[in-house]
Amino acid sequence: MNENLFASFAAPSMMGLPIVVLIVMFPSVLFPTPSRLINNRLISIQQWLIQLTSKQMLAIHNQKGQTWALMLMSLILFISSTNLLGLLPHSFTPTTQLSMNLGMAIPLWAGTVITGFRYKTKASLAHFLPQGTPLPLIPMLVVIETISLLIQPMALAVRLTANITAGHLLIHLIGGATLALINISATTAFITFIILILLTILEFAVALIQAYVFTLLVSLYLHDNT
Amino acid sequence: MLQNLVKSVWVPMKPYYTQAYQEIWLGMGLMSLIVYKIRSADKRSKALKGKIFASSKGWGTKDTILLSQDTVSHGL
Repeated sequence: MNENLFASFAAPSMMGLPIVVLIVMFPSVLFPTPSRLINNRLISIQQWLIQLTSKQMLAIHNQKGQTWALMLMSLILFISSTNLLGLLPHSFTPTTQLSMNLGMAIPLWAGTVITGFRYKTKASLAHFLPQGTPLPLIPMLVVIETISLLIQPMALAVRLTANITAGHLLIHLIGGATLALINISATTAFITFIILILLTILEFAVALIQAYVFTLLVSLYLHDNT
Repeated sequence: MLQNLVKSVWVPMKPYYTQAYQEIWLGMGLMSLIVYKIRSADKRSKALKGKIFASSKGWGTKDTILLSQDTVSHGL
């Protein structure tokens, strides 16, 4: 049972060939390119959702920050679609891999920090010391602020990995418990099954919320630096 | 196919790849540097462990040690 629990997080392969790249590229198939003035229902709903999200997310940004609109929208669409597809039974979720999430977090965080140092050097350096700090505390606080800056990409990646992995593990465990309890006590199995349904609904919400949190934090780091 | 790729991907995305995402390219360079450092350190530690294991088992000949040193020095 222990091996089966973590088997779904192993990198998938078919006939010895790794198919992770195909799985990562798959969500793009679900977002067709709009080619007409008035599109079909799927594309119209997607366009409406993207407009709603982008208006809300980019409202705080100035002109420089809004050049990141495509990146931020692609990010939230990719993470939310990947997380939701991962809730299908026996599917592989790329966002459970820390390497994948670090691969998203580090370039985006570094991009925001480098943007800040490039266009607003004094303001970016000033972030390392909060206003009104007492004189004796300055050296320590600069060190603490530097550490908190450097930890941001790690926190972004680990937050997404841990939330999605934990949710999948819980679904596995409670699903296994439901199956095991069917022969022992039908009532208990039924209660466990209700818990499984509620957990799955929660995981749908977590999938969308985590995508939103990841993108929002990148957006906030960008806002601090532009 | 390449012409189609250039027309459909590169032409609309050129201002993003060349201007808007300059800092993100630097970030990707930083990430690849981190990946390279971690992988080379992992290979070096594995080679060292293999060397220690071989010498503890009494397999440590001059050739084995030279091979391990060669592996470590090339960062493999």
